[in-house]
Amino acid sequence: MSDERAEYLASAAGLGPSDRERLDQIREILGQNTTWSEPPPEVADRLLAAIGARKTPSIRAKPEPAPRWVWPAAALVATAAVVLVMGWLGVFSAPDEQVVAIAGTELEPGATGQAAIRETESGWWIRLDVNDLPAAEDGTYYEGWVWSDDGEGVSIGTFHFRGGEQSVILWAGVDPEDYPAIWVTLEDEDGDATASDRVVMRGRPESQ
Amino acid sequence: MLDRFRDGDESAVKAVYERFRGPVFAISMSVLHDHGLAADATQQTFIKAWQAATTYDPERELAPWIYAIARRTAIDIYRKQSRSVASDDVDSTTLPPSLDTIWEVFEVRSALDRLPDEERLVIKLSHFDGLTHVEIAAHMGIPVGTVKSRSHRAHRRLLELLRHVEET
Repeated sequence: MSDERAEYLASAAGLGPSDRERLDQIREILGQNTTWSEPPPEVADRLLAAIGARKTPSIRAKPEPAPRWVWPAAALVATAAVVLVMGWLGVFSAPDEQVVAIAGTELEPGATGQAAIRETESGWWIRLDVNDLPAAEDGTYYEGWVWSDDGEGVSIGTFHFRGGEQSVILWAGVDPEDYPAIWVTLEDEDGDATASDRVVMRGRPESQ
Repeated sequence: MLDRFRDGDESAVKAVYERFRGPVFAISMSVLHDHGLAADATQQTFIKAWQAATTYDPERELAPWIYAIARRTAIDIYRKQSRSVASDDVDSTTLPPSLDTIWEVFEVRSALDRLPDEERLVIKLSHFDGLTHVEIAAHMGIPVGTVKSRSHRAHRRLLELLRHVEET
């Protein structure tokens, strides 16, 4: 828009000097097609369909009732299985296990979680349990990092959560006391080993 | 409505979408310059907002929160598209606008959406279509004097809405 045209619009609108100045700042935006464009109507339908799909639980066929004797036995087996799995996952927190709360950044404000850290003979075992972190889309993945206060990061593993799980075991070959911050970044499958700037979750021990 | 939005209530989700679809799409277009990609960015923005709604504090302004999600979603898509293009082919004119500009686009479109229809139309015909008051009068079938007074009201109201956003 030419200055003459802008002057015409400002004066024709009966604006004072300060309002003319503000109008001058936004006149380019008012003249752009992108400012006035509308999303296609089907976006609303797709949005509601996507949200509906995420809310609706899967419908399962009603199972046939089992004989009475099955239930106590099944309960024993289930309990034993749960104990084994929980032991493998290290859910029974060991005395020397440190738990660090991690939270979603502005990229994923709804995500929450914790990292349980335990020293082993192979390095530091880290179990990451999160809530509401969406699965990484195809072509991307999540990467865990431990980060020093000097700005050095060491990768502790990659994962994608596309199977529906929200828990993963990662490993650190460096002492978390030297690298106290825990980050989760979103990475592209581009062969670049350095951390992206898309930090989706972050945490560090409260004492630090 | 915000509590129901957090609960994923369909009517509340629709209401939030209706209120912010214009500004979200506008900044998606200003970053991506592609209607299809901007539509995808818009859809993803509101899905992410719904997913994160349980952590949203209703005491805070909703617009900046929606804006932050929309901006990052659009820039994420921009980066993915950029990486899929050979570096030699990247046209420097398609670089995304500055953060200040993206926010200004969001503010301006939000304010425009809150104008009465006839006032918004006068501003669009003046600034986007480049019509004079005489041409606007002919286009809208109203007297030139009505166009002038409507233009005066529309511009003052637009600037007042923008001042309110800046103050909050």
